[in-house]
Amino acid sequence: MIAPFYKYGMFGDEMSLVVAFVTGIAFGFVLERAGFGNARVLAAQFYFRELRVFKVMFTAIITAMLGVYFLGRFGVLDVSLIYLTPTFLGPQIIGGLILGAGFIIGGYCPGTSCVSAATGRVDGMVFLAGMMGGLVGFAEIYPYIETYTKLTSLGQVTLAGVFDISYGFLVFAVVLMAFVAFLAAEWAEKLIGHKLPGPGDLTEPVRKLTPVRGFAFGLTGLGVIALLAGSPYRTAFARIDTKQLALDAGSAAAGVEAAELADWIVQGRNDYLLIDVRDATAYAAYHIPGAMNVPLASLTPDLARRNERIVFYSDSEMQAAQAWFLLRSLGFPSAGMLAGGLDAWKDSVLYPLAPAEGSAPADQIAFAKRSAVAKFFGGAPRGAGSVSLETAAPALPQLKLPATTVAPDASRPVKKRKKEGC
Amino acid sequence: MNPYLAGFLLGLVLLAAFVFMGRGLGASGAFTTALSTGVHAVAPAHAEGNAFYAGYLGDGTTNPLKDWLVFEVLGVFAGGFLSGALANRLKVRIEKGPRISNPRRLVFAAIGGALMGIGAKLALGCTSGQALSGGALLNVGSWAFMLCVFGGAYGLAWFFRRAWL
Repeated sequence: MIAPFYKYGMFGDEMSLVVAFVTGIAFGFVLERAGFGNARVLAAQFYFRELRVFKVMFTAIITAMLGVYFLGRFGVLDVSLIYLTPTFLGPQIIGGLILGAGFIIGGYCPGTSCVSAATGRVDGMVFLAGMMGGLVGFAEIYPYIETYTKLTSLGQVTLAGVFDISYGFLVFAVVLMAFVAFLAAEWAEKLIGHKLPGPGDLTEPVRKLTPVRGFAFGLTGLGVIALLAGSPYRTAFARIDTKQLALDAGSAAAGVEAAELADWIVQGRNDYLLIDVRDATAYAAYHIPGAMNVPLASLTPDLARRNERIVFYSDSEMQAAQAWFLLRSLGFPSAGMLAGGLDAWKDSVLYPLAPAEGSAPADQIAFAKRSAVAKFFGGAPRGAGSVSLETAAPALPQLKLPATTVAPDASRPVKKRKKEGC
Repeated sequence: MNPYLAGFLLGLVLLAAFVFMGRGLGASGAFTTALSTGVHAVAPAHAEGNAFYAGYLGDGTTNPLKDWLVFEVLGVFAGGFLSGALANRLKVRIEKGPRISNPRRLVFAAIGGALMGIGAKLALGCTSGQALSGGALLNVGSWAFMLCVFGGAYGLAWFFRRAWL
């Protein structure tokens, strides 16, 4: 499981903008080549003269759909991580009708109008200006209609989920439907548009396997395989790459140092989940601020998204290591644990030990910082300054855990996920 | 280009977006982000007080224009221009049917654009973000939306035949 690359952290936000630009270039290029920069080509669709829009769109949909299905089925792509625009049935039906009206009146949709404007069409440019006007209008009335735009919410659902039929069957049905629809489209072009089927059409009057026919049969064949092959989502069955796991367990790769974790919390970072795998009593007695309590016994793969960074901790490393091992084997590559567990947290974060007298200034500065962090978490530095090593040993202050001052829910910052939809 | 080949290539571009980013293609969102940023620059209080604009401005930690869709749409302009230039199709002109005057066609284009803006925001996406991307993911709302787009356009086609035929 390696894709979606971005969501598995293979590249960052800056790089994603480069990917966006390159993807956009390819998108614009293909739209232009398909003839979609021309409003007359697009509008001809709605008079059954030339059904290019329909053919291009549905070929694209089934190509991408089959790609997603098979990459998911082979375990390359985590389908559950692809953003699904939430369904609000009513608003989307009304929005679709309005958009359809805009399409036949203006001749473009937003994407094609960009291509149209970029190739010098004045009507495309005016269409874009009109769209900006429409957006302003929508924005200004939005406060009054906001509640209505949220009606009939179904959440992020696929047709397979809502009708409770298998994803593979649906893929097959859509491919078959598209195949029949392409034949119907060419028939309509012939009947209404008086456009005789020629080379590159499915119904070209030659008795041989043209490339287009081969392609259509190929896609249909893949649809049949999808029908039989089951769900593209990852199952909960663990697949263990023992070698990799052993390597990770051996190296410190999976661990987060207590001091580092403390810094994350102080900085208010919210790109990870901190999970306390001890039982509820121990959690209630003390937990690291912001930690959620998920006792080892109730750990399931539904805990978090697979690409989420997770830090487990327990008293020593024991239980956390078990949790880490379990989730890693279930395919959570970013699971990790607090090195040394709560014991290390106590020693190095809550009650840091002062450096010996006369130690390097850098150590003193580091200790001053650690002391501040300790106070932040309700602890206190140990052996402050004057205590020499020999006397410090017996007089080691009791490592009493401070009360967790911040309520876990309040302290856990709300994830500011970037919106992904249009 | 053969429409089936164009569709296949478009499908591959869409699939690449899924595999690289875990999200589909889009268009209308970029314009909304640009608009929200513009409004915020002119009237910050107004933009922040409006939930619609505010939703596209983010939390203020990053420039809202450093957004995936904004860069993608810039790419669409560049890609469209590039393809047109390579095929010698760059020309200032107005696409219209033979029975409609230029000013009238442009007024229609503006009205159509405005409707498109409203419809796309109501539906949380346009033909790219909803119909195409959501269609490939078998998203419930996307399929309902797609049928309605075709329904709306076919339903009104007769009334606007003078604009195109």
